[in-house]
Amino acid sequence: MAEALTLAVSAVLLAGFYAAMAYGLGLIYGVLRIVNLAHGGIIMAGAYLTWQLFTRFHVDPYLAIPVVLVVFFLVGVTIYYCLVRFLPRGPAGAVQSLLLLFGVWLIIRNLAYLLFTGNDQAIRTTYSTSSVSILGASYSLNRLLVFGISLVALIALHLFLTRTYSGKAIRAAGQNLESCTLVGINVERVYVLTFGLGTALAGLAGLLASTLFAFNPSFGAGELLKSFVIIVLGGLGSVVGIASGAVVLASAEVFSIYAVPSYLTSAVGFVLLVVVLVLRPGGLFGQKVLR
Amino acid sequence: MNDIPRRARIGRLSALVAVATLVAVACAPSQSNREQEGSAAVPDKIVIGSTLPLTGAESKAGGRMKQGYELAVELENKDGGVDVGGKKVRVELKLLDDTTDQAKAVNLAQRLITQDKVNFFLGTYSTALVEAQSTVAEQSKIPYVNGGGAATSIYRKGYTWIFGTLAPVENLATTEMEWIHQQQAAGKLAKPAKVAILWENTSHGEDFRKGVQDFAKAHAADYKTVVDESFPLDGKDFSAVLSKVRGAKVDLFMVDAHLPDFITMHRQYLSTKMCHQVITYGARGSEADAREALGQDGVSYILSAVWWNKQLGSKGLNKEFVDAFKAKHDADPEWYQATSYEAARALLTAVSKAGSVDKQKVRDALSVLDIESILPGSKLSFPQDKGGQASYPFVVQQNLPDGSSPIIHPSEVATGEGVTPNPGCKS
Amino acid sequence: MTSPERALSSGAGVRVRLPVWLPGRILVAFAAGVALLWAAPLVLPVGEYTHNVVGLTFMFMAAALAWNWLGGYVGQISFGHAAMFGAGGFVAARLMLTLGLPFWVAWLAGGLVAGCYALLWGHPTLRLRGPYFSIATIGVGEATRLVATYWSGFTGGSSGLSLPLGGGPTKFQLYWYGLYLLAVAVGLSYWLRKSRIGLALFAIKEDVEAAGDLGVDATRYQDVVLFLSGTMVGVCGGFYASYQTFIDPQDMFSFDRSISFILMAVIGGIGTILGAAAGAIVFVVIQEFLLANYSQLYLGLYGTLLVLIILFEPLGLTGLLIRVRKLFGYRPRPDIAAGGLKSAAVGVDARGSTADQGVAPVEQSAPGERGSA
Repeated sequence: MAEALTLAVSAVLLAGFYAAMAYGLGLIYGVLRIVNLAHGGIIMAGAYLTWQLFTRFHVDPYLAIPVVLVVFFLVGVTIYYCLVRFLPRGPAGAVQSLLLLFGVWLIIRNLAYLLFTGNDQAIRTTYSTSSVSILGASYSLNRLLVFGISLVALIALHLFLTRTYSGKAIRAAGQNLESCTLVGINVERVYVLTFGLGTALAGLAGLLASTLFAFNPSFGAGELLKSFVIIVLGGLGSVVGIASGAVVLASAEVFSIYAVPSYLTSAVGFVLLVVVLVLRPGGLFGQKVLR
Repeated sequence: MNDIPRRARIGRLSALVAVATLVAVACAPSQSNREQEGSAAVPDKIVIGSTLPLTGAESKAGGRMKQGYELAVELENKDGGVDVGGKKVRVELKLLDDTTDQAKAVNLAQRLITQDKVNFFLGTYSTALVEAQSTVAEQSKIPYVNGGGAATSIYRKGYTWIFGTLAPVENLATTEMEWIHQQQAAGKLAKPAKVAILWENTSHGEDFRKGVQDFAKAHAADYKTVVDESFPLDGKDFSAVLSKVRGAKVDLFMVDAHLPDFITMHRQYLSTKMCHQVITYGARGSEADAREALGQDGVSYILSAVWWNKQLGSKGLNKEFVDAFKAKHDADPEWYQATSYEAARALLTAVSKAGSVDKQKVRDALSVLDIESILPGSKLSFPQDKGGQASYPFVVQQNLPDGSSPIIHPSEVATGEGVTPNPGCKS
Repeated sequence: MTSPERALSSGAGVRVRLPVWLPGRILVAFAAGVALLWAAPLVLPVGEYTHNVVGLTFMFMAAALAWNWLGGYVGQISFGHAAMFGAGGFVAARLMLTLGLPFWVAWLAGGLVAGCYALLWGHPTLRLRGPYFSIATIGVGEATRLVATYWSGFTGGSSGLSLPLGGGPTKFQLYWYGLYLLAVAVGLSYWLRKSRIGLALFAIKEDVEAAGDLGVDATRYQDVVLFLSGTMVGVCGGFYASYQTFIDPQDMFSFDRSISFILMAVIGGIGTILGAAAGAIVFVVIQEFLLANYSQLYLGLYGTLLVLIILFEPLGLTGLLIRVRKLFGYRPRPDIAAGGLKSAAVGVDARGSTADQGVAPVEQSAPGERGSA
């Protein structure tokens, strides 16, 4: 019983990281209907940037958050202006955006190989292996911090989307594009903002990943796939929906060890993905658009 | 529709398809223009083909293997070249980058062998690549020596042209278990001891697991395997499987993982305040990357076993190798350079012994080769009953809190004493 | 509905009836091409290495064409075709190893199993439109890879399966078997596109509901294409197993492999009849060229190619070819690419400024909203 509780806490902590991974992807898809296949590459780039800041300028990863957010916001805006802007909207554009952004991912991967070689890199701070005691069991301080930051991001994002003008404009664009222009929302600006924000969130996920795991230029593929699973599970109803999807996935992965051999617990997510897509295409919570 | 009835149309179509298939299957010309290999006359230079992952996932290891191959060739050329039946012949190494891709490794090997017509081949790194590439060498009947493929599956196919200087990973597990067994006999470890085996789902991990299991079965009264789980590469969270280990109240924690998984798992291990009498991650733990990622406290008392360690290099052949390497690269060699160096050296020695560059003769020389070596056990041969894979004990090291990593086993080459049970668990 | 028959009479007085969608000259060109390629290695002095590489390329061309049936003709981009490639490969290898079946039986069996597997996961997921289907295929590909690596009894686990040397055709002979594979793939490509099935697929692509009103059962046609695509790719997997004589799950089912099919089709011209085959040739040529000299740039090169193609010429090589031919007065048919990717080369503007598109009604099709539940 105590072990089950420990596992539950571990699952929640893991869900924190997973949610942070998925926010960016979900936001961009919810509004622009574009699947950002470069998402994995951005996460990897975020990890590398954090690592560089840590090794060259001795900036603690968590203090580097503002830098990473700003840098990747700009990166997102650039990608939008130079590439995504030219894609047609709607179903035809879906296929093209898939392929275009996949190409961008390949380029980012190659750049990372050229700059940093394929070697695994890791960040170790003084507290990388520290633990915190909760209810008698010990947990990694890092994972708790990651969870905390993800929660803060969740709240901030939710507030932004519901309380600010820009945020509401973003949600409006996700729901009904025609009406947006009717009420005077500059759709183009909304798209730029969304893409930039989505990319910034992906960069943040990379930062968080760098504090927990070792990484190399191939990093990000698994994260991308899991982000898909999450946004499908949670639907695109809201950022809270994404967080719920993350909890579902993390719990499934962690608790499935009681049912399947440890090796197959990672397949659970993908099986869940296909099953949910087939049975409830609107996600477990039945939402289809960003509310 | 057509005026031919539908059934007849389908009937005619099927007949056509059947005939076409039979014709197709029968018709493929066989190779009539197989050129006979060149005469055994001594050429002006020997070209050795090779591919290594110089970029891609295994670029680090590939780069080190390259150093080993090149050093061996350089040293040979320094005194004029290989002695082939009295004549000194220079050696040229033609090394290409296979980017850690199986298809490329095969492709490049084909190119080097059939187009560039290299005399011999030095293999690539990583089991999957070697396994794929070795089939090309076997089909082309060219001697293939490698310092990069350790899985026994490579050598169990009945191939006769493939030779490897990496001892099976099962030996890694066996050597560690031998030391553990000694400690158990001396009363320092629980008896019977409960063992947890966690292994990455690759042939490396499979072999490690087999080694531990075989040893445990052979000493069934002393060891009980209570956890036996595999995990996929690049996992993000091991809390579930670690929880299983905690629940089983294990004494010996034996894992086989590559670096990123080792870091992720051990960080979780440490932060959940786990500790066991013996902790090992296979070949991981003693390298600088581990210390950097986990801190000295994190890696203290971890057991590891590798194919070769520079602490073996105090005299004789080993000292020559270490000194030559240091002179060239201004750094200490690791096992990658040692096994690749030996692979190249073995190949050149075989050429010399065969007194010819005839592929069959060199192959035969390799199969009966028995030379002094820098590898543990000081001897190198490619026993045919093991499919041409060298077999020797690993060197077991233990990280000590002062930052050193002495060899604790086998005793003939030990440079320090191991500490058991894990003092870090006292609290 | 009857269609007029055309009879082709040869000098010997035999009357052969060809279907209306197969002009005589296309058939002749096809036969001539196959015959030429068949005889070429026996006549031309090509090195053993080039000969083998070309044989393998035939297989890639066939696989790319097969992918294109689903990705180009039906318009559902699959990121998980490696699942069928690997399934076919391992079934074939297993049959050759354990039962000692002749290679072509093993390939066919492997292909059929792969085709059935494709139907198994594809039938329910094809209801999904657009990116959701693609995401599902990623899930299928990854899950298949993980399960296959775990199922060591069948696939050999991470150690893979090794075929005994000399048991099957040599690499030299595989050139011709690859050629046959390619011939079948080209034939099927043409048939799927030009026959009634192609017409039906085109209708589905343009407007699924209207097509349904005309009695076109989208599900059935999509299933047929999916099955054929999976089977062909599965046979290619068997070919690959015979060629390499060693296969392992991590390599056969890898995401990179699925991606390579997409790249070949997109580079060549997604949705066109033979574009994918041309793309496969380019893919292999690039590999060969980069292999020796700039091996560390191939990722970036493919990525840049993709970006350039999507932005400037969505029909890839075929689009470029059309543009060139237009300079000589050639007018392309509007249906040259059965796909959502319309190209400027064909006269329909692929780009508009987002300013006007921002106002136009945007189809935001969520998954499953296609019409049926």
